[in-house]
This record gives sequence, C-alpha cells and structure tokens, in this order.
Amino acid sequence: MRIQVNARNQGFEFDARAREPVLYAGLRAGIELPYECATGTCGTCKAKLISGRLHDGWREAPGRKHVKPEQREFLMCQCAAEGEAMLEVSKFVYAMEPGACTPDACPGIVRAPRRLAHDVMAFGVELEQPCDFDAGQFVLLAPAALPGYRAYSMCNFERGGRQLDFVAKRKPGGGFSEWLFGADREGERLDTFGPLGKATFDPALAKNLLCIAGGSGIAGMMSILSRAARERYFDRYRGWVFFGVRMLRDAFFLGELSAFRAQGLEITVALSDEDVPASARSEWPQLGFARGLVHEVARRTMAGKYHDMRAYVAGPPPAVDAAIRMLLLEARLTTDNIRYDKFS
Amino acid sequence: MGKRLVCRVVEIPENGLKECELEGGLKLVVANSGGEFFGFQAICPHQEVPLCEGLFDGSVLTCHMHLWQWDVRTGAPLGIAEAPLQRYPVTVEGDSLYLGGDDSALGMGELFNGLDQSILEKLAALARRESHEAGAVLYRPGDQAEDFFVLESGRVEFLIGRGERTAPGGFMLKKGEVFGWAALLDGYPARIASARCLEESALLRINGKAALRVLEGDPAAGLTVMRRLAALIARYLASSGAK
Repeated sequence: MRIQVNARNQGFEFDARAREPVLYAGLRAGIELPYECATGTCGTCKAKLISGRLHDGWREAPGRKHVKPEQREFLMCQCAAEGEAMLEVSKFVYAMEPGACTPDACPGIVRAPRRLAHDVMAFGVELEQPCDFDAGQFVLLAPAALPGYRAYSMCNFERGGRQLDFVAKRKPGGGFSEWLFGADREGERLDTFGPLGKATFDPALAKNLLCIAGGSGIAGMMSILSRAARERYFDRYRGWVFFGVRMLRDAFFLGELSAFRAQGLEITVALSDEDVPASARSEWPQLGFARGLVHEVARRTMAGKYHDMRAYVAGPPPAVDAAIRMLLLEARLTTDNIRYDKFS
Repeated sequence: MGKRLVCRVVEIPENGLKECELEGGLKLVVANSGGEFFGFQAICPHQEVPLCEGLFDGSVLTCHMHLWQWDVRTGAPLGIAEAPLQRYPVTVEGDSLYLGGDDSALGMGELFNGLDQSILEKLAALARRESHEAGAVLYRPGDQAEDFFVLESGRVEFLIGRGERTAPGGFMLKKGEVFGWAALLDGYPARIASARCLEESALLRINGKAALRVLEGDPAAGLTVMRRLAALIARYLASSGAK
C-alpha cells in the first residue's frame, strides 16, 4: 500500500505491508516519523488522515487521549492503512542519516531467561537475521501469545549480531512481564521490530559521561557502557554511573558494573528505602553505595564536575523528571546533552 | 483589539510562571523575568503540554516533556526546540497585567518578533493585507519572487516541481510564519515551488527589496533578521542529524 505523508517541511512516500502500522512502515523506509514509545502510550506519533481508510489496531491505547478523532487524528503506531492513504504530520520530518540503523521487523526466539533479582529477569532474543543497533536503543517485542508490542532496551552492544539481551522487571498486571515470569519461555517465538530510540551513544561524542538510571533503566546504560568500554573510551573521558533501586535486594548487574570500574568508571548504587547494609561494601568493593533518591545522590557527588558532560537518564517518569530538572537548572547542561528514556 | 486583563502582578512570583485565561477564553503563560513580564501561548508548540508546568530559571523557559526551550525575551527557540513561541505583549498598569499592543502577525512572527517598534512600523507600512479563498494559488514555479508573505490565518501548502511531477513541499499553519523568502535573497529571482491556500487564508504581502532597505537602516535589526532567516532555511534543508 502506498502511503503519502505531508510534513511541515516536505512530503514523503513509502509502501506499507498489510496490517502494518503506518509508523513502522515509514521508519522501515528510512523516514524519521515522530515517535517516542512506539507502543501506543505517549501520543508523539499523532497524525491526521487526509484521504484513505485506516484500521486501528488498539482503540483503547492510552495515547489516544492525545488525539481528536473528530478531526481525523490518529496514532501512527497503532493504525494501518487499508489501501492508499494520505496523512499529514504537523512536524518537521527528515530522512534518516546515511548509516543510521534502519528498523525492521524480524522474528526471534527467547533464549536463556533467568532471574537476576527477586523481581527482575534477564533474557535473550535470538534473531533470524543479524541486525545493527546503536548503544542505548530499544526494540519492540511481541510474543505470539500476546497482542501488541512492548518496548525493551538492549543491555548488550553488537554490530551485525543476532543476539539481543534484555532485562524485564516484574510488573503485576503487565502482560509481557507476567508472561515472562509465568513459565519457562526458553525457545518461545516472538516478533520484534527495531531498533528504535534516539538516546544513543557513539564514541565520536568525545565528552565525559554521566549515567543516571532508576531500576531497569540500567539496561540501556549497560549497552552504552559496553560500547564505550570496548573502545576504551574511559581512557580519554571520565564516566559516572548512578544506579537507583529501593533496596540492595532490588539491585542487579553489580558484577558487570564492578567490571567497568577497572576502566576508571565511578559507579554508585543509590538505595532510596534503606540505609546501606554493612555487607554491601565488602561484597562489592568496586562500587560506591549511598542512601537517597538517585538524582539526589548524583547531585551530591557531581557538584562542580559537569564540565564537558553528556548525561543519559532512564527509568520511571518521576526519577527521570527529577534528574532532568537537576541537570538543567543546577548542573546547567544544555538540552542537547541530556538524553533520556522515560518508561511509561 | 483593546487591552485585556491578564492577571494581577502579585500572582506571578519572581522568576515564576503562571497560566492565565483571559476574557474570551485565550490562555497565556506569563513569565516573570526579574520583574519584567512576557506572555506566550500557553501550550507547547510541540505537543499539547501546558508550558506553566515547565522549568523556568528567569531567562529560559523549558517544556518539561521534551526539553524544548525558548528565550523569554523573544520567544526564539533554543537548543533542540524546532519552533518559536507565539508572543503576546503584556504591560503592567498599576497592580495588574494587560494584554495589548502589537499582536500582529508581523510583530509576533518568527522573523521579526522583538525588533524595535520603529522597524516593525516601517515594515508594517510596506505590508498589504490580502485574503484568499481555499484553492487560491499565490505563486507558481518560475514566477518572479518579488514579495514574501507572513501568514495571519489559514493554511498554505507548497508543491515542488511542475505538472505531473510535483512533490509536496510542506505547509504553513501558524500565525506569523514567513514564506516566499526567496524575495529576501539575492540570486533567486524566480519561485521554485507553488504556494496554494488550503483553506481561506489571510496574509501580509511585503516587497522583499523594500523590506531589505528598511533593515539596512538598522544593521543590528537586519543582522537579527538574517540570522533568523538562515536558521529558518536551514530547518527546511536540514537532514535529521543536522537540525
């Protein structure tokens, strides 16, 4: 199906597969249509139908509160065209840069699901086709048994690899996490679409790095740190990681984070709901521990050290918002040096 | 339009923001920058986010949702923001703030806002106000590019190419947006696109050379306009990484 998108600055044409949401078809064609969550929540991919017919795959999508159906507005991540269609996007839209990792759909198989903490699971997805992604990106996952996609950040970094690694936190009532925690999913098939997301890291950045993560927001940071460590980035630039969890029992990846210490990274685990147990420092001598919300711990440690800095922030919205406020108003970072991923 | 009450001065703390609803339903966000007041559209031009929930340090307003930023003195976009804020001039009289003064498309638009009132008056004297029906064609490729336009209301779309081989070239929909800017450039005597009103539209038509003569009389203002014009053109030419 031929889709035409008229944006503020120019028009684009691309083909969509049957039942393929317009957003995915456009991204696959290398057009940077606006999106953030790509899964029906945020409303960023709002567009207006000028001509043609659409099939809405999820009429109850939370992001629908941002659209006015009477003005023929819809979410591109949920709606597929039924035949030729013309849409309007009231934003500036550009073609992806040459060399960007263009997303596509690819079947995969769940590999090696295992508990990392009482409510956190690690798992791999083995893709049918090798894929490139940037450090800090995410993909959409849809097990055959569940309707719709969920977004998960990769924790590894690989070029042309076929293995994507993830962590998932158990969320009561969360379709994917209940499915993952509910039984051994080794070998189960799922659909993927990706890679997506712009909170990416490239070593050409050439700045000091500050990573502030709440809970499973550490996933994307692990990918960024892997990429940086592989290039021995921290021989030339400084790096700080603040990993916020409620209690020590909620923390994971502490062994992997300890290994980054050898490259010169300073890593602090912030515990919001308990004092630092005496055992923590003896068990993890490479890591720092502090009591407090993750952005507050970062504020105390980082005062006066923000020179030439790029910050990455990921986690639940309140943690991300608080960290961004601190980085903008106190650390005085410019907005292009704050990359963030708000789980919603 | 006469002046309208916005709110009482004491309602906006120093270096604070407040959303105000005026008689008639217009909503503004008003910023108090060290005792000076600046009024803007209440909702972020990016998505439907109230700007009063944003971050404000006394000079830069940041929308908390996607970190678009603006200079409150001009409404000009900063950092990653892709669009300016629509300004509404507010004045203090006694213990209250009023909306009044120049809210013309010219004065609030992206190219000329914040310029000295005397310059704006000279530009306004050059402007011819035109109304066009839906479907009206303003210019076609090859037409002489003598005038530029400032959108007052309505919607104008562009098509690049001729005949069968046309491609959509974007559209204008915000009050104060400027198009037909070849008229402000040397060496681009002819239109390269067609411009057509998609709905009933009101425009200001200004002769490019005459506008440049006005700006030559105030080189500082002229430089400001040229810098903004360069940014505007770059926004249309940019690839995603370069914007």
